[in-house]
Amino acid sequence: MTSDNLVTPDNEDARTGDPDLLAPLAASPIDEDIDDSSYVSGLPGFLGVIDGAIARIEAVLLALGVLLMAFNTMANVVGRFVFGQSLFFSEEVNRALIVLITFAGISYAARHGRHIRMSAFFDALNPPMRKALMVVIAVVTSATMFMLAWYAVDYVMAQASRGRLLPALQVPVWWIIVWAPLGFFLTGLQYALTAIKNCIDKDIWLSTSTMEGYSNDDAEEV
Amino acid sequence: MTLAIFGTMIVLLLLGFPMMIPLIAGSLIGFVTLFQGFGQLDTMVQQILGGIQPASLIAVPMFIFAADIMTRGQSATRLIDLVMTFVGHIKGGLAVTTATACTLFGAVSGSTQATVVAVGGPLRPRMIKAGYKDSFVLALIVNASDIAFLIPPSIGMIIYGVVSGTSISELFIAGIGPGLLILVLFSIYSYIYAVRNNVPTEPKATWAARGRAVQRALWPLGFPVIIVGGIYGGIFSPTEAAAACVLYALLLEMGIFREMSAKQLYATAKSTGLITAVVFILVGAGAAFSYVISFAQIPQQVLGSIGINEMGPYGVLFTISVAFFVGCMFVDPIVVILIFVPIFAPVVQSVGLDPVLVGTIITLQVAIGSATPPFGCDIFTAIAVFKRPYAEVIKGTPPFIFMLLSVSVLLIFFPQIALFLRDIAFGK
Repeated sequence: MTSDNLVTPDNEDARTGDPDLLAPLAASPIDEDIDDSSYVSGLPGFLGVIDGAIARIEAVLLALGVLLMAFNTMANVVGRFVFGQSLFFSEEVNRALIVLITFAGISYAARHGRHIRMSAFFDALNPPMRKALMVVIAVVTSATMFMLAWYAVDYVMAQASRGRLLPALQVPVWWIIVWAPLGFFLTGLQYALTAIKNCIDKDIWLSTSTMEGYSNDDAEEV
Repeated sequence: MTLAIFGTMIVLLLLGFPMMIPLIAGSLIGFVTLFQGFGQLDTMVQQILGGIQPASLIAVPMFIFAADIMTRGQSATRLIDLVMTFVGHIKGGLAVTTATACTLFGAVSGSTQATVVAVGGPLRPRMIKAGYKDSFVLALIVNASDIAFLIPPSIGMIIYGVVSGTSISELFIAGIGPGLLILVLFSIYSYIYAVRNNVPTEPKATWAARGRAVQRALWPLGFPVIIVGGIYGGIFSPTEAAAACVLYALLLEMGIFREMSAKQLYATAKSTGLITAVVFILVGAGAAFSYVISFAQIPQQVLGSIGINEMGPYGVLFTISVAFFVGCMFVDPIVVILIFVPIFAPVVQSVGLDPVLVGTIITLQVAIGSATPPFGCDIFTAIAVFKRPYAEVIKGTPPFIFMLLSVSVLLIFFPQIALFLRDIAFGK
């Protein structure tokens, strides 16, 4: 066999799977960066403005959280090797930051349709089925998130009433976990909005800003 | 209850729910049945929050961050050039270069996807131009990228280490042997392939060119020195090594190469945060799941029913291998690790297997499964990156999967492949 008839795939292969259709299956690391300035909230009017602002805050918290965590961890290493002394509060700061990053991030990921999912069977369905299933997925996910938000409030309240302090930082434990109910709630909200968007719009939406089949947010048209 | 938990999880997974939902649903069913109602659900939240807070998990975002910074820069091309000037001229040289560059890049980044993009991206067009079949090229890139999973740093190993309570440092060192063995096998196969298909060889590089390539690659080669050297020498914990990598990557890209602006740094941090959150919510949900199934003694039930207690160490290792391999053919590796490790943990302990060996075998199986049809997630990465149809991406994989499975069998019968370096490094 020569090489040139292999560089171009034969038509049969090309028909078995449309790369553009399969593209969004891949996990996020290879996707382009999200441009926050082009993000449009799924909520109308004033609520949309608030939601848009929350989206910006989430993005800033994510980036700052990672930068602070890197700085804190590096400072600890430098402190230990150069000055022979670890930062006694370093571990607790990282604990606080990872909770912040995780719960700011799950909502941000929900906004931009970046949660990892196994969509092979989903993609094999026809469009009306996909749309219906997407609504079911969004509703169930949303309900689960709201429920977790509810019990997370419970848990945070219990921690607050006990008044436990972080040993090194001497701040109340509940301060660092207060992001959990908030993150669950905002994620639930995003999935609820996704369900609504799928019901009122003719296209299939993975999140309020991400249409199925497109990997970036330019797909948004309002 | 066992049936309800796993049945629900599988259905939700296959329907295409975000992967945190099957994990949360499995734990929910467990909590509600075990504690007869919703009264203990704040314990579930507590488990989720507790699951993401171990100090050693901080290594995950830090390694992602370091790799994210480096992937945007020139380190991959520099490493490729280095390998190219030394082995490019032998028979099958481009293919060997690809496999070796994947391994080297795996020592910079812990992510398979990043390796596919960074190494496969520039090398695939060159290989096709040189006369390799695209099906071979795609299969080589996808499978060689899996070596990155075994070569430290490895995100999968960190999560296994945290979930099973195994030393991450030891796991990192133990991954090197099998990773290099796979590289050797892939190189031999590439050579045979090139001879049989009569692929022309590349011109030999001069020693001057080699010298320049070495010089250019010196900076990125600092990563393996920091990670492997630091851990091997007992200087760094994995988290500290990760922080040192971030510091080093920042110095390189912002100080020496001067290719990254503050704005790009912000974008990189944000994308790292996003990937971290998506992974960590799974880790948290996995911790809740692990808590509830061990509380209900589900592992003993499930594994007892397949008679694992009579299998002996080899039987257990085979069962573990098959479970992780098959799991990753369908689902993301991290999810498989989070679900299966707590299930197998009691039996690994009772049979007296070395948890580092088990972790290395699991990491290998996870890597192989991810590149195996029908739904190995690396296949979809390749589809997305190279815009080739599914059928074409998987066409050339069988020989590679065969080689990888041979390594798995070897590893079970000759654990020294993995443990040799570990034993030297940690004086066991």
